[in-house]
Amino acid sequence: MTGQNKKIIAFCCAESAYRAADRAGRLGIHYPDNVRVIRVPCAGRVSVLHILKAFEKGAAGVLVMGCQEGACRHLTGNIRAKERAKYAEDLLKEVGINGQRVKVVNFGPDMAQKFAREIEEMVEKIKEE
Amino acid sequence: MPVKIGLFLCDCGGSLRNIDFPKIRENLAKLEDIAFVKISHNLCLEEGEKAIASRILGENVIRVVIAACSPELCEDKFMRLLEGLGLNPNLLSIANIREQCSWAHERDVTKKALELIRMAVNKARLLQAVERGEVPVNKEVLVVGGGFSGVKSALELSQLGIRTTIVERESALGGKLRELGGFYGVETSPKEMLGSMIKAIEEDKNIEVLTSAEVARVQGGAGDFTVRIRKGGKESSRSFGAIIFATGYRTEILPQDFEVEPGGNIISQQKLVQMLQAPKKSERRPETIGFALDFSDENCRLPTLSTLNNALLVKEKLGSEVYVFCKNLKVDSEGAEKLYQEARDRGVVFLKFEKPPQIYGENGQVKVEAKDVLLGEEVTLLCDLLVAEEKTLPSEGTESLSSMLNLEIDSRGFYQAENIHLYPVASERKGIYFVGNCRGDLDLARASTDVSSAVMNIYEFLSPEGAIVEVEKVKADPQKCRACLTCIRICPHKAIQLVRVDSEKWVAKIYDLACDRCGICAAICPAKAIKFEGYSDEQILAEVEAIGEGL
Repeated sequence: MTGQNKKIIAFCCAESAYRAADRAGRLGIHYPDNVRVIRVPCAGRVSVLHILKAFEKGAAGVLVMGCQEGACRHLTGNIRAKERAKYAEDLLKEVGINGQRVKVVNFGPDMAQKFAREIEEMVEKIKEE
Repeated sequence: MPVKIGLFLCDCGGSLRNIDFPKIRENLAKLEDIAFVKISHNLCLEEGEKAIASRILGENVIRVVIAACSPELCEDKFMRLLEGLGLNPNLLSIANIREQCSWAHERDVTKKALELIRMAVNKARLLQAVERGEVPVNKEVLVVGGGFSGVKSALELSQLGIRTTIVERESALGGKLRELGGFYGVETSPKEMLGSMIKAIEEDKNIEVLTSAEVARVQGGAGDFTVRIRKGGKESSRSFGAIIFATGYRTEILPQDFEVEPGGNIISQQKLVQMLQAPKKSERRPETIGFALDFSDENCRLPTLSTLNNALLVKEKLGSEVYVFCKNLKVDSEGAEKLYQEARDRGVVFLKFEKPPQIYGENGQVKVEAKDVLLGEEVTLLCDLLVAEEKTLPSEGTESLSSMLNLEIDSRGFYQAENIHLYPVASERKGIYFVGNCRGDLDLARASTDVSSAVMNIYEFLSPEGAIVEVEKVKADPQKCRACLTCIRICPHKAIQLVRVDSEKWVAKIYDLACDRCGICAAICPAKAIKFEGYSDEQILAEVEAIGEGL
């Protein structure tokens, strides 16, 4: 697969990151088109299984995007997400997938620029390999 | 019956030019469970809605996929539309091909759009109907704490026709209001204020008062709490729909701030109030009185208010010289700025220090040494009396109560609001509210605001015949549940409890009314027993599976 065809799955919290992604579109902030956003009610909904399955199905990178720390609508969802992503990262490392391909990012709903930047960074990261 | 999916594509008035809609239609129409693919220019306008209605009813589809703008914008609208057509609103899946596809990229994104729609179709195949149903709610409210906030809560609830029970630990209502001497410049004294409130309570048939009583245990969830109340050595169980905690605060002089023991010439605000109210004949009138503030904690709204208030009362009643030693004066309470101005006009001297002053006892007087910031010099003052700074602390039992309720307390030990800016009186648990000084130090005006917002929340929550909720949107499968308690510990809204199914088996039960639909439990459950319809593991993975199923 060439770098351009590699897919990134972004699990986005409907309260923050999903809105940030919408906002990026509304403001015309462009980012690479190989990202696929999956809307979840809270980053805490994302389980290790989801992250691993994404790689199994051919994703090259997974982003778990939730609210800012201390500002989670469900209090601890973003912290849970972080724990699980860490766990998934360790499992992936064991099977030889570079751990940096799972990333947890904290968002506010207005951080459109940040959303685009995070996608670009992940695309750069998966190109290198 | 095989799943038949009706697919609607919206090109937003023809503006999504980097998506080739006919090509998408051609590609998707090949899928066998797609009943039809309809391209529309404006699904959100009346004509679009009509088109949706006629196609859905005409072709008897049982799932709907809409590819349009962000679900943040259109989801509610289309869900209502489906409901109106007699289709369950949960059977809708939306692909965001505008904000997150067409608008986000410059190049032709037909392929991405197709993939996003495939994701939505994959999910739609697995969607199940979620019924909306009525959950009965108990219409009685419990107020814990019979101080200003508690009594006011009960009175306001009663005005709205809600039956209320006040549980007060002490033998009489009133709380801190009984200790306050007077409000400077206000005709009504705290005692009169309290008197009229208690009179109103006694006359009110909607309010029951239990004094010398305590809450021993709280079980259940929003709309149906079972509370064990301990009174006179006996415990009884009562049911309530909502609970207001108004457990107030206590004050304490921290001895480490003073060289000499508090007592003697270093007195508390309350002692000063007693002196002002009933001066003993034998006592010499104090010539100079000092007030100390801000030694270690700057977050002191109540001590500032009582200092300003009592300094003015001293001026009025005793005419002594008054000094206030402070770092910064917090005048953000209602009327505090005015009190400060008045105090200055009447000759109260404010001395600003940077480091806490040294305080010694000397010849029956209190010697205060401090470096005044404005003068830039060391100042030594001899006071006949020094009124010590009092810390505002959470009332006794706050910690044990919070651990019993399974709720957080903040770093200072007060109850923590769910969101201090947006929902300051709500707790993490639906149906439990914190008002007044049990959640931080607030003046009377702020406490009143707290009471009103908690009362309105409860009114909204308890007033309908029953609360309408999505029934079992998040559900624990009793067959799979092993009662390991993981979900119960992790649920941020404390909406899960163990219930008994037979003599041996206990399973987790999610309370629809208390659940906020975040899905944290579904992600953590080791037995995968919890299903969150709309975001179940199968449905999320079905979306993941669609990667690469493009053209």
